[in-house]
Amino acid sequence: MTTSAPAVRPLTITSAGVVSAAGLGLTALAEALITGKLSDAPLPDPSPGEYPDLPLRPVPDPDFAGLLGRKGLRHLDRTTKLGLVACGEALHSYAADGTGNTDTGVVMATSTGSVRSSAEFCRDTLVRERPYLVNAGHFPNTVMNCCSGQVAIRNQLRGVNATVAGGQLSSLFAFRYAHNALGSGRARRLLVGGVEELSPQTAWAWQHGGSLRPGTRIGEGAAVFAVSAQNEECAEPADGSMVHGGPATDAAPPLGANLLACEVAYYGAPAHRGRQVQGLTDVISRALHRSAVAPGDVSVVAPGAAHYTGLRHIEQRALAAALGSVPERQVRIGDFLGELYSAHGAFQLAALLALWQAEPAAERRTGLVTSLAPDGNLGCLVVRERA
Amino acid sequence: MPEPSDRRVVVTGLGAVSSLGIGADDFTAAIRAGRSGVSPVRSFDTTGFPHVYAGEVPDFDPGSLLDHVRPDAWGRSSQLAAAAARLAVTDSALDPEELSRSAAGSIMGTTSGESTVVQSLTEQWTTRGLKGLDPRLVGQLPASRIAGAVNYELSLTGDAQTIPTACSASNYALGYAYDLVRSGEADFMLAGGADSVNRYTHAGFYRLGALAESVCRPFDAGRSGIITAEGGVALLLETLDHAVERGARIYAEVLGYAVNCDAKHMVHPDPHSISACIRAAHDSAGITSDDVDYICAHGTGTPTNDATEVAAVREVFGSAMPPISSIKSMIGHTMGAASGFGALVCCKALAEGFLPPTANVELTDPALGPGVDCVPNVARPAQPKVAQNHGFAFGGNNAITIMGRVV
Repeated sequence: MTTSAPAVRPLTITSAGVVSAAGLGLTALAEALITGKLSDAPLPDPSPGEYPDLPLRPVPDPDFAGLLGRKGLRHLDRTTKLGLVACGEALHSYAADGTGNTDTGVVMATSTGSVRSSAEFCRDTLVRERPYLVNAGHFPNTVMNCCSGQVAIRNQLRGVNATVAGGQLSSLFAFRYAHNALGSGRARRLLVGGVEELSPQTAWAWQHGGSLRPGTRIGEGAAVFAVSAQNEECAEPADGSMVHGGPATDAAPPLGANLLACEVAYYGAPAHRGRQVQGLTDVISRALHRSAVAPGDVSVVAPGAAHYTGLRHIEQRALAAALGSVPERQVRIGDFLGELYSAHGAFQLAALLALWQAEPAAERRTGLVTSLAPDGNLGCLVVRERA
Repeated sequence: MPEPSDRRVVVTGLGAVSSLGIGADDFTAAIRAGRSGVSPVRSFDTTGFPHVYAGEVPDFDPGSLLDHVRPDAWGRSSQLAAAAARLAVTDSALDPEELSRSAAGSIMGTTSGESTVVQSLTEQWTTRGLKGLDPRLVGQLPASRIAGAVNYELSLTGDAQTIPTACSASNYALGYAYDLVRSGEADFMLAGGADSVNRYTHAGFYRLGALAESVCRPFDAGRSGIITAEGGVALLLETLDHAVERGARIYAEVLGYAVNCDAKHMVHPDPHSISACIRAAHDSAGITSDDVDYICAHGTGTPTNDATEVAAVREVFGSAMPPISSIKSMIGHTMGAASGFGALVCCKALAEGFLPPTANVELTDPALGPGVDCVPNVARPAQPKVAQNHGFAFGGNNAITIMGRVV
């Protein structure tokens, strides 16, 4: 084995676009996380009766037409619209440099695309008078890169455009893909994140799957970050504006955080069954080493498996082993926003950034996002406030 | 010891599960002979469909190819991917134990993921409601399981990532896997893709007017569309140094790749964006257009694709277009696996010395302009040194890989 673990080149997060059960933006997310209050929201159409008897955590009535414009919305599914809103927010709150977006890329995490779109399109082949009497305008919704393609079209993003799938790890795979694309010079700036749509189909899939702890909500949302190679995008734009145009979010301060190492591993094979504690411990240790972060420097952890039967203890044991003790400060978004699947990792990061932004500290803080899934994937991401 | 970022990456194992045969050698023999793998659809009820041909793999017997992935626990696309990966490792003569102990993983492309699982679950939804879904099948639904199946089958602990960028996905996978080996993140990677023939993809392409009745004729004046198809394909990547050290057979070196996005339309390709992607791929590979001896086309056989693709190639190569052929004329459009099969056949063409043909060509479309050599109908003996492999997709996702002969 020749692979060593060289230090990673940090990436800089310059802005975030978040659409969650707490509403739009990091500030709303922080407020909800701090107060513990979220109001109930109506379920995505059409009929609540189609959902299983599970607690659900939908995004409250997103004003897609207001945020995206009415044109062309009719054929877009909820996955694509949520992704468009998050990417739009990340772009609009991004420090515009006047060069346009043509060399900006997209790395979007979705493990199966819109399950609802595929299922409904497939159902049309069964229930219509002829099996081919499907709506051609809905066909692109059945492919999983639909969201990233639409993001590119609506924002003129001609750079790297990737969609990545990895179950609960999907968003971490997206950050890892971004590390490579930016580190190898294949992209200059990327929108990186994840999206998940709540639908009767997915809710029932969770109900049938039985892997979640009782009482876990099924959630949805999209969280996307504008990311570039370090030091390239730190300067304020020439015109001094940090926010330009676009849907009205309050002018948020620029995000000051670096993405450090993102490591993943697969411990699902029969030969490795039961070795996930060691696997996750190794992955965390390697990520910290590659980030030049001492275990004791991690001040907050966002664990991803806290709401999974049988996995939360594995995750906690690995954290204790890698960090020396189970960290006191943990942000469990699964308890709050619910299971967000493809978008979960992106929201773990969003939660850390939101809380840091809401609660400034004198010293720069380091956070750790961990993830562990029933399919055998596991991984982590190190993030640090920028000096 | 070179810097990790300087590591040269080669292909030393090939695996194919296709309508033209199981295993890279059978597949390649059929390609060289210009045979067709297209047959009447057997996997779903075609009643009511005007067009009923597809490139299915009816002979796929997962039990005989797979050691760990059980057919009753994984969807068809995962099985196809895992079987192709197992075949690639066997073909490479690499010790599977060494592979399993190493920093190794898989990046696999797909368009529709576990579409036959979607199909079965939708039938259950239609007949007995969402409450009546089979939990065992529900667990097989995530598209991400395709790469997971490869790691599961081969006991790999590295990245297990699926790239669902539709019909260019395998090239995305190959490019990313190449970067991971090149940069030292991994020492071995399996790269490829898988998709399954299914009812709704068939219906969708028919509805778009993009489905041929029974014959796919890329570049032909009478071309009328694609033939939906399925398969699994995998390439084993390792460093040149390691391959030489173990005395491996080296098919080809991955010289570079590029990806970009049209950002114009979900289903209509853009020639300028494609030509930009070709140029970026040449830059990545450190070559010029003069170095390219063969282009393995996306070549779907729709009037629009082939015209757009030739226009893009002409934009870069001018009047000196190299031979450009489409293996989709024989295996059909294997969707997310398509550019993986293209990459595989490029490796074979470089190693064995031939140009793959475009089958079913009666008259190369004059509307494509002069100088289009689509290698009609039978393979041609040749000694290509550099091959360029195209993959384009819904969403405007273009991906091009460049492979070179190692001498």
